[in-house]
Amino acid sequence: MNRMWLPVLFLIIGVAVGLMTNLRIPEEYKDYLSIAVLAAFDTLLGGVRASLEKTFNETVFVTGFFSNVALAALLAFVGVQLGIDLYLAAVFAFGVRLFQNIAVIRRQVIDQRLITRKIEKMRQK
Amino acid sequence: MSKRTTWMISVIFLVIGFMIAIQYQTTKAGPVERDTRDVWEIREALESQQTQQQDLLEKISKADRTIEKYQEQSQQEQIETLKSSISTLERKLGLTQQTGSGIIIEVKPIFVETEEVQSYPSISPELLTRLINDLNKFGATEIAIGNERVTNLSPVRGVNGYTYINNRPLPPLPVTIYALSSNPEKLSDYMVVSQSKDYFAIENLELKVSIKSNITLPEYEDPLHLEVLQKGEMGETSE
Repeated sequence: MNRMWLPVLFLIIGVAVGLMTNLRIPEEYKDYLSIAVLAAFDTLLGGVRASLEKTFNETVFVTGFFSNVALAALLAFVGVQLGIDLYLAAVFAFGVRLFQNIAVIRRQVIDQRLITRKIEKMRQK
Repeated sequence: MSKRTTWMISVIFLVIGFMIAIQYQTTKAGPVERDTRDVWEIREALESQQTQQQDLLEKISKADRTIEKYQEQSQQEQIETLKSSISTLERKLGLTQQTGSGIIIEVKPIFVETEEVQSYPSISPELLTRLINDLNKFGATEIAIGNERVTNLSPVRGVNGYTYINNRPLPPLPVTIYALSSNPEKLSDYMVVSQSKDYFAIENLELKVSIKSNITLPEYEDPLHLEVLQKGEMGETSE
């Protein structure tokens, strides 16, 4: 856990580089990027949740990130080709998972705090 | 967590941050507006901008000259300059009598022998507005309709079926319209072939245009209501 600042630093660097390059995506590809961002968020929260549950696996995390992003983009692409707003399915799925993950993380944090408090009380006794 | 894992996660965070930044920029900027003008249109736009610049420069130099005059002169002369600029402005507005060469347009009814009973024609506000626009377009400097001087603020309104100008009703036909111009012959030629002549003819009205060298226009007497005026865009206030 002592190296947790490194990802945060890289996140900040990424945002800074993105803002500085002044890069813009053409209007047609905006949906793809938004869904990719959503997938990235999902993976992020999933990783946090897994690490709190002590089931974090590096391979799962990395492959999950890339496959989620790729699958979401593919789904959006197929939707565009068929004339169906299929990307909404991805938005829905990721949205639901985002909320679930956040809820789990919240519970984990609360549990951990309660446990530590109890342990401290036990020690005091 | 091993060192490799941390680095891997860090790189993924970098990618995520980059994507978020680009997404943010794309949604914030909105669609890029493309300039689809061709060379000719750009040239025209450039020319109009240059004309505007020229106008503004001329105005600035005129104002500068006035300021110089004020600064150079004694108080007595300053008052004189002030008075002269006031009278210039009054003349421009139409608050003074104005004499010059111009044209006289007589509006007369046309009577047609038909089986229907013909009502006595009158000038509608739309017709009058059209005629004033035409006169201004063809280079009339000052216009008076009957005894009413037309200024930039003169309203032409229809009230209960009567045409009002400067908030006073137009006298019954025939009505005489005076227009001063630096080139009365040209103005008269334009008016003879102008479209307003046709439009007046539809309403059974005849326009008779004649040139006169010494016409005196009455002054505008009512108070000026300037509070309704609003500051316009710079591009539209060319004189």
